[in-house]
Amino acid sequence: MSLLHYAWSFARRRALLALSAVAIALGVAVLFTVLAVLNGFLAEFEGTMRSFAGDLTVRPLPISWGGPGEFQPYVDSIESVPGVAKVEARLNWFGLVGRRGSRSLSDPRSSDLNGLLLVGVDDFDWADDPSSASLPPLRLGKTAAKRLGVNAGDTLEVVSFQPRPGRAPIPARLSFSVTESFSSGQHDQDLDRALVPRTALLPLTNLDTPFTEIIIRVQGEIDPESLVPALSAQLEKDGLAESSWQSVQSWRDNAGNFLRAVENQKGMLVMMFFFIVLVAAFQLVATLTLIVTEKKRDIGVLGALGATPGRIIRFWVLMGSIVSFIGVSLGIGLGYLLTSNLESLELIMGGGEKIFLPEIYQFEEIPILIDPSAIALLAGATMAAGILFSMIPAWRAARRPVLQAMSRR
Amino acid sequence: MNDSTTPVLDARGLEKSFRMGASSLHVLRGVDLSLHPGEVCALRGTSGSGKSTLLHLLGLLDTADSGSLHLADKNCTKLSRTAAARRRAQQVGFVFQQFQLLPELDALQNVLMPRRLACGWSWWSRRGSEYARAKEILAKVGLSERLSHRPSQLSGGEQQRVAVARALVSKPALLLADEPTGNLDSHTGDEVLDLLLGLAREQGAAVLLATHSRALAAACDRELLLVEGKLEELTDA
Repeated sequence: MSLLHYAWSFARRRALLALSAVAIALGVAVLFTVLAVLNGFLAEFEGTMRSFAGDLTVRPLPISWGGPGEFQPYVDSIESVPGVAKVEARLNWFGLVGRRGSRSLSDPRSSDLNGLLLVGVDDFDWADDPSSASLPPLRLGKTAAKRLGVNAGDTLEVVSFQPRPGRAPIPARLSFSVTESFSSGQHDQDLDRALVPRTALLPLTNLDTPFTEIIIRVQGEIDPESLVPALSAQLEKDGLAESSWQSVQSWRDNAGNFLRAVENQKGMLVMMFFFIVLVAAFQLVATLTLIVTEKKRDIGVLGALGATPGRIIRFWVLMGSIVSFIGVSLGIGLGYLLTSNLESLELIMGGGEKIFLPEIYQFEEIPILIDPSAIALLAGATMAAGILFSMIPAWRAARRPVLQAMSRR
Repeated sequence: MNDSTTPVLDARGLEKSFRMGASSLHVLRGVDLSLHPGEVCALRGTSGSGKSTLLHLLGLLDTADSGSLHLADKNCTKLSRTAAARRRAQQVGFVFQQFQLLPELDALQNVLMPRRLACGWSWWSRRGSEYARAKEILAKVGLSERLSHRPSQLSGGEQQRVAVARALVSKPALLLADEPTGNLDSHTGDEVLDLLLGLAREQGAAVLLATHSRALAAACDRELLLVEGKLEELTDA
């Protein structure tokens, strides 16, 4: 430790070491940014997914399988499990709409027809809607509204089919008044979703069970997946689920392959960019080896003054640590700066246009989430790599005999 | 430290040869030497006679092929590199012809370096007194105004004075000087030598000084001549 002063005096006068630090900094900054964006994307995806689809969903047991067909038994059963905060009924129903409201629906050959997922919810505030006296209200996803060319105040006619047990389904029509559009933050949801009051949707469905799924929200920071076994057991015990029927699903299950693909992509990108950081750290070997050769005489002088081989190793490792530390610190600072100005950078790089198109990347703005534990891991791993790589020149410096090091040859 | 009757350095039958391809060059052939505390001894010999080789063996920078070496009453004949380095840090001071200062450090930090190496982890608890000691010895060599100057900002004479301060800051039992004035003009060389010998005597260190200068050798307590690998004591010095 007493050589820290010398190592610092030495390091700050070596432009090569500064370049090594810059190389490490660039690698760390890029990885910092990639981590922040991917974590941000995952967090935003989780947020929108959970706010819309809930933390957990329960598929009700069909009446034909012995289900009660009523909502209250489910509420009683689910709320008896500790950790559950709220239980909501939801009715999802598919329908067809025309591009400009009902006009094109009269002609089934029209290429203007679009599928729409009507989501019937209970917490839809009717009272505030001016249309509540005439037609039931409908809130349309922002992108869907744009695509269909409808505005607030327009009437939207939805065509669907009513199932009839043992018989062919019959077509059914229902008109809604478009009140406003909403943005869920997810492009695919804004493209084909419409929120309607659940009770208003019932005439279109003719179902014996007035809900198609139950949305559960958990308390505070509880991991929703940890409640799945207890909920499944409780529903089964109360006769509301069967062991062969996977009734409880977490938001992760609902997100399915998309979430796993993103997580895989994150893993691959982190691994790939960490290799870049490793390469940047590895060039410390070359830089320090060069400096060890250049400073051969001074290493000999240190030995003559009483530096043990262990001390010489520590000195060069300390040097590698200083360079790595500066590189990591600069990299984190630069990464923070990059992530803070990512939207501007995106526009600059794209010549005024967005590079990450919402239609493809599913977000309107680049989401950012700086995870301190991931950054700490990145800093630690880079420091460890820098220290490890500086061992090689350190060992070369220490094994050279003092007299040989001090000689002019 | 040692009393004046116990030698600081006791070397017996030191031999050293170097391989030169198929043949070998026998440089030292059974060197015997004792030095007592406060004794200043000149070592003369022609170029290539083995003066530096002998200094390297005595300073534990190299090992002899045969013979024994005791430093401050400790057997130092066969030491590992680590043990030799520790012994050097505690007992031996070097002054080289080429000064050998560390260019990145200022005068004060150059003088402190042997203390940092000798103290190890205890440096942090002792740094106050070590700084005071380094400043004191730099003041004695007349460089109290040059503490923050790096070697490139100092003249040759000043650099060698820093080297003298560095060699003596640990109060070594043995000071080895290899032609310390060889790179200086005669006036500056005399000044540096006066300082070196004055401070060494003040500290009671035994000094072995390799030189070509008869005048300088004559000013020492003893004069040794290295001829064909053997030491001869010049009694009429």
